[in-house]
Amino acid sequence: MNSHFPINSRRQFLQQTGMGVGAVALQWMLNRESATAKPPVLKDKPHNDLLPRAPHFEPQATAMISLFQHGGPAHMDLTDPKPELSKHHGMDYSGDIQFSFVNEASKKLFGSPFLFQPHGECGTELSELLPHTAGIVDDLCLIRSMHTGANGHEVSIRYFHGGIPAVLGRPTFGSWLTYALGCETQDLPAFMVLSDPGGHPVDGATNWSNGFMPSMFQGTVLRPKEPRIFNLQPPKHLAGPFQRQNLDFLQTLNRQHLEAHPGESDLEARIASYELAARMQTAASDALDISQETASTQSMYGLDQPETHEYGTRCLLARRLVERGVRFVQLFHSGQPWDNHSNIKTGLASICKKTDQPAAALVKDLKQRGLLDTTMVHWGGEIGRLPVTQDHGSPEKAGRDHNGQGFSIWLAGGGIRGGMTFGQTDEFGHRAVENIVTPNDFQATVMHQFGLKHDQVVFTHGNQQQIITANRPARVVEEIVT
Amino acid sequence: MLASSTISKHHQRWIICFFFISLPFSEILASEPPYFETEIRPILREYCFDCHGATDELEGGLDLRLVRFMKSGGDSGMAIVPGDPAASLLLDRVHEGDMPPGESRVSPEKIAILEEWIRQGTPTLRAEPQKIGPGIPITEEERNYWAYRPIIRPDIPEFSGDERIRTPIDALLAKAMPEGLTFSSDADRFTLIQRAYHDLIGLPPTFEQIEKWQQHADSNWYDQLIEELMASQHYGERWARHWLDTAGYADSDGYTVADRSRDWAWRYRDYVIKSFNSDKPFDQFIIEQLAGDELAGPIVGDLTERQIELLTATGFLRMAADGTGSGDNSPEARNKTIADTLQIVGTTLLGSSVHCAQCHDHRYDPISHEDYFALRAVFEPALDWKAWKPPAARLVSLSTEQDRAEAAKIEDEVKQIAAEKVTKQAAFINEVFEQELLKYEEPLRSQLRTAYETPVKERDPEQTKLLASHPSINISAGVLYQYRPDAAEELKKIDAQIAELRAKKPIEQFIMALIEPPNHHPATHLFHRGDYNQPKQVVEPAGLTVTAAEGERVTFQDNNPELPTTGRRLAFARWLTSPENPLAARAIVNRIWMHHFGRGIVATPGDFGKLGSVPTHPELLDWLAQDFIDHGWSLKHLHRQILTSTAWRQSSFRHPAGEAIDADNQYYWRKSLQRVEAEILRDSILLASASLDPKLYGPPVEVAEDETGQVRIDSKQPRRSLYAKIRRSQPVGMLQTFDAPVMNVNCDVRASTTVAPQSLMMLNGEFVLEQAGLVANRTIELAATDSQQTILFDLSQLPKLPSPIWSYGTGEVNDETGTVIKLVELPHFTGSSWQGGPKAPDSVFGWVILNANGGHPGNRKLPAVRRWTAPADGQVSIAGTLHHGSENGDGVRGRVLSAGGQRGRWQVQNNSTPTNVSQFTVQTGEAIDLVVDCLENENSDSFNWPLKLTFTSIGGDAVVHDSVTAFRGPPEDLSHLPGQITVAWKLILARSPSQDELKMSLDFASQQLKLMSYNSAGTATDRSPGKQVLVNICQMLMNSNEFLYIE
Repeated sequence: MNSHFPINSRRQFLQQTGMGVGAVALQWMLNRESATAKPPVLKDKPHNDLLPRAPHFEPQATAMISLFQHGGPAHMDLTDPKPELSKHHGMDYSGDIQFSFVNEASKKLFGSPFLFQPHGECGTELSELLPHTAGIVDDLCLIRSMHTGANGHEVSIRYFHGGIPAVLGRPTFGSWLTYALGCETQDLPAFMVLSDPGGHPVDGATNWSNGFMPSMFQGTVLRPKEPRIFNLQPPKHLAGPFQRQNLDFLQTLNRQHLEAHPGESDLEARIASYELAARMQTAASDALDISQETASTQSMYGLDQPETHEYGTRCLLARRLVERGVRFVQLFHSGQPWDNHSNIKTGLASICKKTDQPAAALVKDLKQRGLLDTTMVHWGGEIGRLPVTQDHGSPEKAGRDHNGQGFSIWLAGGGIRGGMTFGQTDEFGHRAVENIVTPNDFQATVMHQFGLKHDQVVFTHGNQQQIITANRPARVVEEIVT
Repeated sequence: MLASSTISKHHQRWIICFFFISLPFSEILASEPPYFETEIRPILREYCFDCHGATDELEGGLDLRLVRFMKSGGDSGMAIVPGDPAASLLLDRVHEGDMPPGESRVSPEKIAILEEWIRQGTPTLRAEPQKIGPGIPITEEERNYWAYRPIIRPDIPEFSGDERIRTPIDALLAKAMPEGLTFSSDADRFTLIQRAYHDLIGLPPTFEQIEKWQQHADSNWYDQLIEELMASQHYGERWARHWLDTAGYADSDGYTVADRSRDWAWRYRDYVIKSFNSDKPFDQFIIEQLAGDELAGPIVGDLTERQIELLTATGFLRMAADGTGSGDNSPEARNKTIADTLQIVGTTLLGSSVHCAQCHDHRYDPISHEDYFALRAVFEPALDWKAWKPPAARLVSLSTEQDRAEAAKIEDEVKQIAAEKVTKQAAFINEVFEQELLKYEEPLRSQLRTAYETPVKERDPEQTKLLASHPSINISAGVLYQYRPDAAEELKKIDAQIAELRAKKPIEQFIMALIEPPNHHPATHLFHRGDYNQPKQVVEPAGLTVTAAEGERVTFQDNNPELPTTGRRLAFARWLTSPENPLAARAIVNRIWMHHFGRGIVATPGDFGKLGSVPTHPELLDWLAQDFIDHGWSLKHLHRQILTSTAWRQSSFRHPAGEAIDADNQYYWRKSLQRVEAEILRDSILLASASLDPKLYGPPVEVAEDETGQVRIDSKQPRRSLYAKIRRSQPVGMLQTFDAPVMNVNCDVRASTTVAPQSLMMLNGEFVLEQAGLVANRTIELAATDSQQTILFDLSQLPKLPSPIWSYGTGEVNDETGTVIKLVELPHFTGSSWQGGPKAPDSVFGWVILNANGGHPGNRKLPAVRRWTAPADGQVSIAGTLHHGSENGDGVRGRVLSAGGQRGRWQVQNNSTPTNVSQFTVQTGEAIDLVVDCLENENSDSFNWPLKLTFTSIGGDAVVHDSVTAFRGPPEDLSHLPGQITVAWKLILARSPSQDELKMSLDFASQQLKLMSYNSAGTATDRSPGKQVLVNICQMLMNSNEFLYIE
C-alpha cells in the first residue's frame, strides 16, 4: 500500500472528512481501497478507477514531471560537446545522412557556435546556453545516446508517448502510469497537462490521449490562463456552505435512489464523483494559488523576469501538483520551439533562455523540499539535430535539420543516478553508438523506477493484451538507476 | 537469409523457464497441439507474410504460406525441421530478433507456440492445397469466420406456455442462458414509459404524458405507446443522431487549423432525420448515400425534389475531414480524405476495419492490401486525388431557372440606379469644385482648374505640386460629405436603395454532395506501403475477396448502359444490400441493438474482424438481420421487435442469484441501466424549463466561446442539441464533457464516463445555473395557478424560519441603561424602505424611515432603530460610517446600544464619522440596536449609516453581516413552497415527490433559509431567499442520478 495515509488513518480521514459522503459511497470507496493490494496484471479485467494501487515491487519514484521539449533540441549545441565537429567545421561530412529539408540540405559540418565547459563535481560538460542546468548537473543523469531511428517529429513523438513509432490511437505514458498506479490524491486529477498559452504542441491533444483506455486516464489539461480548470468555482452565491448544503441534499436524493438500485456501481461512482468535484474545488484552487510561494521561490523559477515568467509559473505549478499527490505532470510547448532549422544561434538561445532557469529551479526546489528522491524529472525532446548545416545562404542564418539517430535527454530524481552521463554519439554527434537507449527502453526504465514491470502492466483491449511497449524490445537501463 | 546457427542452450533454458511462469500457455500445451491453420498461420500473417508470401518477390526465396514451402525453405535452406525446434532456422531467427526486420518483435508467448508446433511435428488440420495462387490465400478458417458466413435464420426454440418468452428474441436469449438464469419480471409501467420515450425520441416524458399512459385502459396501451412515439417527428431526430455519429457528421472541414465551416452539411443531417421519420427502407437509405448521384440521373434544368434528396444523401461520402479547401490541397491531404471516407464506409456498412489494409495486407483479417484498393477503386472516379475538387467546388447550387431570372432582373435595375448615382455624384463634385474655385483669384484660378481637370497621370510636376498645396479643391467622392453633407446623404440613400433591391434577390443555397463526373475512369493503383508516391499495379473495383466463394470475385464493371458515370458505387451499394450479403444487415441490426441495450451483440460495431469482439449471441444476430431484411429493411419494424420483447421490457434490478452467475449481464437476465447521452441530458434540461424550441431542421445553431473560453451553444436558440453546430476544433463544452464525440473520423461507440468535470459542470456551469433559474420560475408560475397544489399540504410542515436577524423600527431609549426600552417595528414597506405608512410623515411614526443605506429619524421621541439580533452566542465587532449630508438642520446622533449598554456614540452634521466598535460578547437572541435620533429637531436629517457587523459564533468562522446587502422587506410568504417543490419534482422527474421526499426537501429549505438569514451571500442578485432555495432544489434535481440514468 503506497499511499500517504496508512489504510486505517485513511479510513478515519475519509470518515471524518466525509463531508456528507453517503454511507454507501463511503463504503464503496473504502471497499475499493482494501482491494488495492493487487497491481493490474496479465489477464486482469481493466479497472476503471484512479485509487492508488501497489506496484509490483518497492518503487523509488512515486511521481513524475516531464518537461517535454518539442522540436528536437540540438544536442551538439547543448549537452553533447563534439570537438571533432568543431575541428572539421565547414568540411564535408563523409557519412550517410538523411535530410528532411532536401532543398536546404548541405553536407558541411557545422561546429557548435557555443562554448562548452565542465560543471559540478561530476565535471559533465554543458553549453553556455544552459547556465542554470549547469548548476544542477550533479543531480542529473544525462543520456547522450537516445535513438528513435526516425527523423520525423510525429513519428518520434508518438514513439515516446505511445510506444510505437508513428502510430496514433494508443494511450500515452501518463495514461499507462496512472492506469498502473492510480493516484495518491483523490482530490486532483491523476495525470495533468500544463499547456502553453501559445497553443497546443505539434500533434495536439494526442500527446496526452488515453487511446483505447477509459477517458479517466486521459491527461487533464490545465488551461494556460484563468480559469485553469473550467467550472471549478461556483458563482459567488453558491460558494462555501451553500453549495455544501446543496450537495448534501443531492447526495441524500442519490443515496435514496441507490438504495432502490442496489449494486449499481455507476450510480455509486457518480455519487463519489460529486464528492471529488467538491474536494477538487478546494484542492485545485489551493494547488493553483502560487501567491502562497515566497518571493525567493518565485524568483528562483524566474517569475520576476519576462522571458521565464510563463514557463517558470508552470514549473512551479507542477511542483505544487506533485506535492499534493498528482502522479504525472507533463509540460508542453506551443508548436515546436526547439525545431531550429534556421538562425540556430539566436533561436536556440531564446528557447534556452525561456526554459533553462525554470527547469533547473524545479530540480533544485524539489531537492530542497526532499521531494526529488521520489519525484522523477524528465527533460527532453523527441529527436535531436544533425551535425551538418541547414543552409540558408549566410552562416548567420544557418540551422540544423532533424536527427532521430542520436540525441540527448536528462533525468533527475526518483532513484536515477545523478552526476553521470550515459551513452555516446559518434564523433560528430550524428548517431548514437554506445549504450543506445530507445524510447521503449526509456519507458521500461521509468516504469521500473515506479516499481513496475513494464510488460506486466496490461490493458486488455478488445481481445488484445496491450502493454506500453507493444511487445517491442525494451530494456531497463540499470546502469543509470541507484 | 537465415544465418546457419543452432539455437543456443541459453535460449533453450530460457524457453523452459518461460513455460513454468506463464500459466496460460502451459494450459494450452497440456491440451491440443497447436495446428498450423489455427495457431501458427495467424502469427506468420501478423509478422512474416509481408516479405515471405504476400507478394511475388520473396525475400531470401522463402515462402511461408504453406508448411511444405517452409520445409523446403529458401536460400538459406529449410526454415523448419519438424520435431526439431533447435534445428529450425525460422525459430532461431525469430528468437534472435533478426526477424522480423525493423523494431517489431514476436512476443515470447507466440515464439513458445511456434516452438511447440515444431516440436510436435508441425501438424496441420488438413492436407495442404496442391496449388496456390499469388498472395495470401484465404483459408477455410477465414472464410468460415462468423462475420463472412451467410446469414442463417436460426430455428426458434419452443417455449410453449412460458409467458416470459414473448418473441423470438426472448426465445433465443433464453436458450443461451446458463442454468439458473431467467428473465427478470417486467419493469413497472412508469419505467417502461420513460424507457420508450428515451429510446425512441430521446426526450423524457412529461408528468402529464406519464399520467396519460399510466392511466391508459387499453390492453394494447404499450403497442399504442410505441407507435405514437415512432410516429413523432422527434423519433427521426433521436435516431439521426446515432447515425450521424457513425457517419462522422461535422459542420466544419477539419484537417487544418482553419477548420473552415461546412455551411451546408446540415442538409445531410436533415436528410437523415427525414429518412428515419419516413422509415425509408434501410437498404435504400444505404444505396442513396453511396450512389445518390448515380440514381439521380442527368441534371437538366432545375433539380427535382427527388434529385435534391438523392444528391443530399451523398453528403455521407463528404463527411470525412477535408482540408483541401482550407489551406492544404496537397496530395497527402486529398488521400487522407479518401482514406477517411473509406474508413467511414468500412466501419459503418461493412462492420470491418478495412482501413487497416491501407499499407499492407490486414494483419489479422483476410483482407488483402489489394482488397483495400479494390474498394478504393469503387470511389476513385468521384474522389480522384489527381483531379481533385476542394469542398467548395463540390457544392451543388439549388437555385432554379426562375431564381436566376429574378436575380438578373434585379441586377439590371441595380445597374440603372447605379448609373444614375454616378451622374449625380459627378454633378455634385463639379458644383462643389466650381464653388471652391471661386475662392481663388485669376490667374491662379485658371491654373488650378487646368491642373484639376488634367488626368492624374498626365499632370506635370508643377501641377501636382499646385494641387497638393491647395488641398481644398481636390474634391473627390470620398470628401464630398465635408462640403455638402446634404449631397452625401442623397447619394447614401441611393446606395440603400440598391442594397434593398439586392436583398430581394433569391438567396443561393447549396447541397454538399459527391457527384461523379461523367465518363471519368481514372485508374486506381495499389500504393506500396500506402504511399501515394509509390503507385504499383492497377486494381479494379471489387468487393472483399473473402465475401465471394473460393476462386470467385465480385467485381463492379463500368458497363451500366443507363449511366453516364461508371456506376461503380451503385453496383457496390446494390451488392452490399443484396439479401445474400451478410455484412451490412448484421452491422446495422447490431447498432440498433446497441442503442437499445447499451451494448451491441458484437461489442465493437465498427469491427467484426479478429480485432473486434465476437457476438455474444450469434444466432440472435442472424435472426435479427434476416428478420430485418424480410421486413423490407424497416427500422421501425426492428424497434417494434425489440421493444416488445421481454428482454427489453424486464426490470433493471439486480438480484444476488443473477449477479452470482452473470454479473456483467452478458445473458440479458435484466435490462442494464443506461446513463443518458450528452445531447439528451441537455435537451431534457431545456424541456424541464420549457425553453426547448421543438423546431425541426435547418442551419445549425451557432456556438461560441464564453468569457471563460468554454464553447457554448447560442442560448437564444434553445433547440435540440443535435442542431448545435459541430465544429471539430470547438466541441461544445457541455456535450463533450458528457462524452459526445469529437469528430476526427467517426464514432462507433460512445464512451459513458463518470468524471468529476461532469459534476463540476452540473454544479457550476452557467448553462445549468441558468436553466435551474428558469425551471424555478416555471415552478412558481404553475404552483400559483394550480390551486390543487397547496391544498394537499399540511401547512404546519412549512419550514420553521428563525426570526429575522435584522428588524426595523423605533422606540424610546433609556439613556441611563443605554438600551432601547421597546422596539416598535415599522409597519409599512414601500419596496425600498420601511416607514410608518405609505406616506411620510406618518401620523404615528412621523418621519421615521429606514432603508438599505440609512434613513431618517422622527422627532425626539422617535429615533430610527435598526436592530440586529445575535443568531448564536459569540463575539461581534462593528465597523461603519455615519454620514449626514445636509447643510441645514442640526445633524443627527448615532448610537450603538446593547444589553450591555451603550457601545458607541457619534454626532454628525453635514459630515461623516467612522463608527467602529471593537469586539464584544453577545448571547443568542441578544439585540444590538443602531439608533439614530434627531437631536433637537428632525429637519433635514436624512442620514446614511452602512455597517458591517463581524460575528464570530463560538467555534465558528467569522461571518460578516452587512446592513446594506442584508436589508430586506417583510419576510417571504413561503406557503407556496411545498406546492412549488412538488411542481419542480414533476417538471424534472415527471413524478410527484413522496411524503418523505417532500419533507426532506422542506427540511433542506428550512436549513438553507436559516443560513441565508444571517449570511446574505447565498442569494443571487434579485432573488429572494425563498426563490433561491427553490432554484437550488431544481438544480439538484437536475443533478440527481434519477435524472441522469434510465432504468
